[in-house]
Amino acid sequence: MTHGELEDAIPLYAIGALERGERQVLDAHLLSGCSSCHSALREFQAVAAALPFGLDIVAPPRLLRATIMAARASNVGPDTTGRTSELSRLGPGKWIDHVSQPDSHSTAAWSSILPRWILGPAIAAAVAGGYMAWSTYDSQVADDPIALAQRKEQADSAASQLAELQRQLEEREQSLTRAREELHRSLADMADLKDQLIQREAELDVLKARLDQYEKRRPRTPEDELAVLLRTPTTKAAVLAGTEAARDASGIFLYDRRTRKAWLYTLNLPACPAGTEYRLWILNEKPVNVGAFHVGKGETAHLFVQSAPDFPDTKALSVSLEPVGGGPQPSGALYLRSDL
Amino acid sequence: MRQDLEQAASTIDPVLLSRAVKGDHQAFSRLYDLSGTLLYSLALKILGNREDAAGLLQEIYLEILKKTARYDVGRGTPIVWLITLTRNRAIDRLRTGGVRAKGRAAPLLNGSTTERATDQPSGSFDARADQELRQLILAAAAGLPPAQREAIEMAYYAGLSYVEIASRLNLPPETVKTRIKLAMTKLREALGEGEERHTRS
Repeated sequence: MTHGELEDAIPLYAIGALERGERQVLDAHLLSGCSSCHSALREFQAVAAALPFGLDIVAPPRLLRATIMAARASNVGPDTTGRTSELSRLGPGKWIDHVSQPDSHSTAAWSSILPRWILGPAIAAAVAGGYMAWSTYDSQVADDPIALAQRKEQADSAASQLAELQRQLEEREQSLTRAREELHRSLADMADLKDQLIQREAELDVLKARLDQYEKRRPRTPEDELAVLLRTPTTKAAVLAGTEAARDASGIFLYDRRTRKAWLYTLNLPACPAGTEYRLWILNEKPVNVGAFHVGKGETAHLFVQSAPDFPDTKALSVSLEPVGGGPQPSGALYLRSDL
Repeated sequence: MRQDLEQAASTIDPVLLSRAVKGDHQAFSRLYDLSGTLLYSLALKILGNREDAAGLLQEIYLEILKKTARYDVGRGTPIVWLITLTRNRAIDRLRTGGVRAKGRAAPLLNGSTTERATDQPSGSFDARADQELRQLILAAAAGLPPAQREAIEMAYYAGLSYVEIASRLNLPPETVKTRIKLAMTKLREALGEGEERHTRS
């Protein structure tokens, strides 16, 4: 397909009316980076996307919105509340291990495994049991002062253990409250950070888009063109050597026959005397002037040609010194030459 | 004016889409409220019944969330991307035969009536920018010769290639190709002129 045929196919491509093979050919062309076709495609895609605005507008069922939002919540849940979800999957009592490290102390260890609601009744049961036991045996030991003293000692010890258990319980509750508050703060901070990150990423996307647009609008410098030529696989290169007139001079010539762009870079050419300039020639049956450039003292020089003549049968390239605005044939001395 | 722009399907902000894709709940809800009605209408037009249209929409919004479908700012506005995605998925379903029997086939591009269900979310397609674009495309489509309009409709809403359309209409493929190209070019010019008038005003 010629480029004109490819351009003609773009409206059909945008509306989805091309045959598969034609679509693949156009896909390949678009991938090659043809900016005019990309631009045309964007315009025709916008036309195709405007068509539904002319349809009869039908509101979706309300249930659809609820379904999608519910699916969204289950889809993003692990990302937004990863820690919380992990906690919710843990068995009863286990979650506390995730907000406070287990203590090596034995009572603290079991108190961290047992749920809070068990701990209170356990203490109450211990107290009640102690009282019942003490009451049962009270009548038997009432007359025995030694036994009575032992019981009193046991009761004191039990009371002391009870006080210790209550103290540990309070400490554990305080620790749990602090951990819970800290967890909430951390989750809130994470949510804030995530929001900020989303905002920054969105801003970054916009800036990238602007940068792309700027790059597309920015006029290309000769250096940009050289970079493009060097990246183009079909670009061919030829080295030019200095003639008797300038033995130290040299040059390199790059040419892409597809885009007709050419680039000449020279080194050590003598400075142009007033009223003269260097000219690049393609030597076919007769010489064809490609372009002119000026060299000052001690300068390197380059010549970029946007649309060079096609020269499939060219035998050589040369650079000669000519009067400014000189004729169609080289008349001055040759300074650079390359056989192709 | 700014508020009006923000509420229109045709002017969805790339930032809103970007935020929605990245897990912002409010942005995702807003994206749905702005685009859902238009995309549902398109899916319904192509698939021909409400169940399949609703199923397709659910699939598309989840694809957006799971980033299976990715928006590239260099390839057009968010609504162009969303419409293209919906249209392509609907045509895929149509071709693979995963669609129930078609219901009432609404006329294409006539815009004669605007069906509104009672449970339509408020402001989903009432924005000035959307209505202006609607009037513009209706006027442009009405100005096309019927044969060109028919070719466009068969390609866009039935997913037929120009060769398939030619076969159905018993015409040479080149004729259909030319009709589509001319119609698209006229629509582009009409939309461009409308945009210019809007910019000047």
